This record gives sequence, C-alpha cells and structure tokens, in this order.
Amino acid sequence: MLADELSLLLVYGLVVAVVLALKTTGMLAQFDMGYLLSARDEPRELPRMIARLDRALWNSVTALALVTPPILALAHRGQSSEASVLAAQVFLVMRLVYFPAYLFGVRGLRTAVWLGGFAATLVLYFLAL
Amino acid sequence: MTPELTALALAGILQVVQYGLMAVPANLELGVAKTAGPRDPDRLGKPLVEQVSPRTGRLFRALQNHFEGLILFTLAVVVITLSEKAGPFTAACAWTYLGARILYVPAYWLGLAPWRSLVWAVGFLATLAILVAALL
Repeated sequence: MLADELSLLLVYGLVVAVVLALKTTGMLAQFDMGYLLSARDEPRELPRMIARLDRALWNSVTALALVTPPILALAHRGQSSEASVLAAQVFLVMRLVYFPAYLFGVRGLRTAVWLGGFAATLVLYFLAL
Repeated sequence: MTPELTALALAGILQVVQYGLMAVPANLELGVAKTAGPRDPDRLGKPLVEQVSPRTGRLFRALQNHFEGLILFTLAVVVITLSEKAGPFTAACAWTYLGARILYVPAYWLGLAPWRSLVWAVGFLATLAILVAALL
C-alpha cells in the first residue's frame, strides 16, 4: 500500500498527527491543568524536549504544505511514475528520521535529513511539472 | 463538489477571516510603523505577539494553531477524495472539523476553559478519523 504517492502522504500526515498528540500528552504531564485549559496569556517556556517536538512540528507543517501540491497534481493527473513514487518514499523516510534526530539533538543528521526531504520535494515538483 | 471539499474550502475562508480578526486589532494597537516595518528584533524589543493586548494575543495564537489543523485536514480531505473513499462518515467528520474550528476562535478569545481544549480535541479527532478512514 506504500506504492503510491497519496498513501505515502497519508502515512506522513498520520505520523505528524501522532507527534502532535505526543506533544499534547507531554504538556499534560509537564503543566498544571489550569494553565493548559486557560487562554495561556502569560507565555511559559516549554521544557527542552517538548520545545524540540514543538519546533519539529512547525517544520513539519512547512514540509507538508510544500509537498502536498505536487503529490496532489501527480495523483490527479495520473502522472505517477517509478521516479515519483521513489521521491515520495525518500521524502517520507527523511521526514520520519527528522523527528528522532530533532528530539535527541543529533547534530548533522537532523540537517541532513531535512535537506533530503526538501530535495525530494523539489524532485516531486520537477516531475509534476 | 463533495461535502469534504466544501468543508475544506470553508476552512480556508475561516483561515482568511482569522487573519483579518487578528490583523485589525494588532495594527490598531501597535501602529502601522511597527507592523509594516521589517520587524528586526533589535528594533522591536520583544516579539510583536507579546506586545499586543491579551485578547489580540489569543486571536494570534488561535490563527497559529489553525495552520497545524488546516494542513492535516487538507491532506486528509485530498487523500479521501482522490482515493474515492469518501462517504457519509467522512462528510460528517469534515463538517465536525469545520464546526469545531469555528467555535475554537470565540472559545479562545473569551478564554473559555475547558471548552477551547475540548473543541480543539474534537477538531483533531475528526481529522484523525478521516486519515484513518483513508487508510482502511
């Protein structure tokens, strides 16, 4: 089922949703309920690991926003090819590694997989055009 | 157009409305000199978000939060539509998402606890349900 771009996009979306749920769970453990339920007018600093998850999530929102258009175009026009599936697979793997690389502060790897995911996105745009 | 795509289009319009709701009071409070400038940290002192009134800050955070929600909802709707797995259940989820995200704005603005968190969870679970339905 991971042989087409839409399924790969779907899996990535689910993973981002799970990480978002993880961050929310982490916040439940770190802050009192009163603060979490309030409008949070006084910004509080996030604990280190949750702050990393938060930054990784924002980066993933950008990655998702950029990769959705070419995948949508490829799928809608039926332009899928071995190259485009491979690019989407590379994108998914890079972006999956990105989370632990960020969470555990693996210097170099995080940047490398970010670049890999970005390059795969550009390849998808090229193939869609 | 499927109900899911209609809900997605309306969610996009909601995002535009949220921009306006946040930008008008923010510009009135801070002045155009600040908001239209290049916003360099040394000139601002602290981030603009922290300089606005609490209520405007809430509208800003509600907008930021919807970026996350909207990108996941977009991908869910796109995949469910293109894979032709959309049905009454996913349509209901899409409308639930839209309703929750509309309620989220006043709930945040008024600081309604725990309603803001509850409607956020409803919107998130509705998105998750569409994603899972697409996978099955």
